[in-house]
Amino acid sequence: MKAIFKIALGIIAAIGGFLDIGDLVFDTQAGALFRYDLLWAVVLGTIGIAVYAEMTGRVATVSGRPVFDVIRMRLGFGMGLVALVASTIVNLLTVAAELGGIAIVLELLFDAPYSMFVFAAAIALIAIVALLPFGGIERFFGYGGLALFVVVATAFHQEPNWGDVAAGFVPSLSSSSLYLYFVVGVFAAALMPYEVHFYSSGAIEEGWTEQNLKENRLNAIVGYGIGGVLSVALVVVSGYLFHPLGVEPNDLGTVALPMQGAFGETGLLLALGGMLFCVGGAAIDSSFAASYNLAQFLGWEWGRYQGPRKAPRFTASWLVFLLLGIAIAESGINPVEITEYSVVFSVVALPLTYLPVLLIAGDRSFMSEHANGPFATVLGWLYFAIIVVLAVAAIPLLLATNAGGG
Amino acid sequence: MSGDKRFRTGAIALLLSLLLLAASGCGDLSKDELNRGVESLSALAAQGQLVASGVARDATKSTYARVMAKTLGGEAEHEAEKLADATPEAGTEEERDAAVAVAGEIAGLFSELQTFPGDEHHGSLVQKHLEEAQEKAEAITARLNGEKS
Amino acid sequence: MTGSGDIYVVHRLLDEQICDSEGKRVGRVDDIELRGDPPRITALLVGEGLYPRRLPRHLARLARRVSGPERWGGNALRIPWEEVDELAATVKLRKKAEDLGLGMGDDPKRWIVRRLPWN
Repeated sequence: MKAIFKIALGIIAAIGGFLDIGDLVFDTQAGALFRYDLLWAVVLGTIGIAVYAEMTGRVATVSGRPVFDVIRMRLGFGMGLVALVASTIVNLLTVAAELGGIAIVLELLFDAPYSMFVFAAAIALIAIVALLPFGGIERFFGYGGLALFVVVATAFHQEPNWGDVAAGFVPSLSSSSLYLYFVVGVFAAALMPYEVHFYSSGAIEEGWTEQNLKENRLNAIVGYGIGGVLSVALVVVSGYLFHPLGVEPNDLGTVALPMQGAFGETGLLLALGGMLFCVGGAAIDSSFAASYNLAQFLGWEWGRYQGPRKAPRFTASWLVFLLLGIAIAESGINPVEITEYSVVFSVVALPLTYLPVLLIAGDRSFMSEHANGPFATVLGWLYFAIIVVLAVAAIPLLLATNAGGG
Repeated sequence: MSGDKRFRTGAIALLLSLLLLAASGCGDLSKDELNRGVESLSALAAQGQLVASGVARDATKSTYARVMAKTLGGEAEHEAEKLADATPEAGTEEERDAAVAVAGEIAGLFSELQTFPGDEHHGSLVQKHLEEAQEKAEAITARLNGEKS
Repeated sequence: MTGSGDIYVVHRLLDEQICDSEGKRVGRVDDIELRGDPPRITALLVGEGLYPRRLPRHLARLARRVSGPERWGGNALRIPWEEVDELAATVKLRKKAEDLGLGMGDDPKRWIVRRLPWN
């Protein structure tokens, strides 16, 4: 009974931690521009991260290898280094965007300068990491992120034409490059690799064994699945309110407007509070992912549980990544713009970090009886194909649409 | 020696004419770009009405309204400058000037909202005026597209 | 044929994580020393000084500038094959890191690590 309770708590934390600034921005913009037409892409991306996370979690648990161990082993030093550099750049941009996002939400709540909040946010994150145990960090941010269920409540409150909403789940393509850009963006925002890299290292930090494989599957499928509902809700509330008015959501604060409209100040505070927690959690996850990847690739000692004395280079690199993130966030570039680039570049780098994991997950010599069965194999390769197509299309679409500016 | 000199003068002349060409080129505002700009203004006004209505109904947090008004107002001002600095396509000068005026109006309304983010009376006034500004922007769009055909 | 069997072992062994007898992570197998005919693995090689060997020519030159020349005992370390205890998800060694001169990167006594605020 206690075990079920513990697993349930883990799933709940995964739900709350599902969104980050990339989802907030791309889902809201997708709704405003295309109403419900991109819901299918949200679902596609959500299933994608569930597949990727389950596989990576299983590989880490059974073979003891986190993602960048798999990458260095399978791709070798040269190609692995390419994957590391690409991954680090994307993670850095993500850390900066999330830090900026925290600062914007704090500015909206307390009306003090953004630049001050960037520093405050970084200091708060360091304190939280230093004081809370690893599992506690995930739960802290995950539970706070649950406040975003006010978005789901808003969707029901708005009473959209549910037939129209349902139609949005049917995949449709358009020759509009802006539409295609958002297909890539919405999918990529759901399937951010740092989340999965963090998850796989977390499995090893927590000392998962084969007993935890079921928990791994539930976290990935139920946790991320329900988290996807939040993404869907964001598109719906934005589509309902912004699309008919022609509103262009270029600012993070705009994301919370529908909740203000539906439930007044309470709705607004729940939305902003939820945004704060999910972006905060994402800042931790992405900065840790950057350090995990570097340390694992080079063979350093790593792990939050090791502490700064046993894993000094790992810890120092984490602080350096935070510092660089602060620098970028303070540089005056709008975090929403940084997000556009971090999301698009992440899908370009995705094939390199996805393929080695897929190959090992299907390899019996590493996974014994836990290797990919026929269903997982088909799903895994299908998603690899989708990811490659999107990776190739991403940068041309970014340029053609001027980063979604039209 | 003289060959060198002639080469240098020729190069300078070429450079200058290229610069002139570039300067005149990037100052141009095509009808499409003007249309886009007016659409952005309309979108800003629409979003502003949502923020202002929250203030009017006392259904929002004043810090949120103030920061949103500041951000959106900044975007309206930026749009105004962009439109004012550029040279409009022939035949669209009137529309361009009208757009700059509307942009300034919108920026001014956001400024007011920024100053009185908790005041319901101001909130409802700003909401109404933003609606009028949006209508003006849409009228400009109609004129631009009417002239197109 | 023994030849391809050896190559497979080298292929699987390369880039593996190395842990000492206490489970401390002390680097990866950056290169492998083969001696004799037929070739036998005589040592594992670890260190940044070995990275340029693993890169294509033009990158290798840049990497050499960054990591400096191979300094055995410094940025390049040799672990005799006899020190390897077990090959599992990581390469497990018989001795502790200090006894083999490994794990200096995370050692509190090295200057950069000493300068870190919490040491």
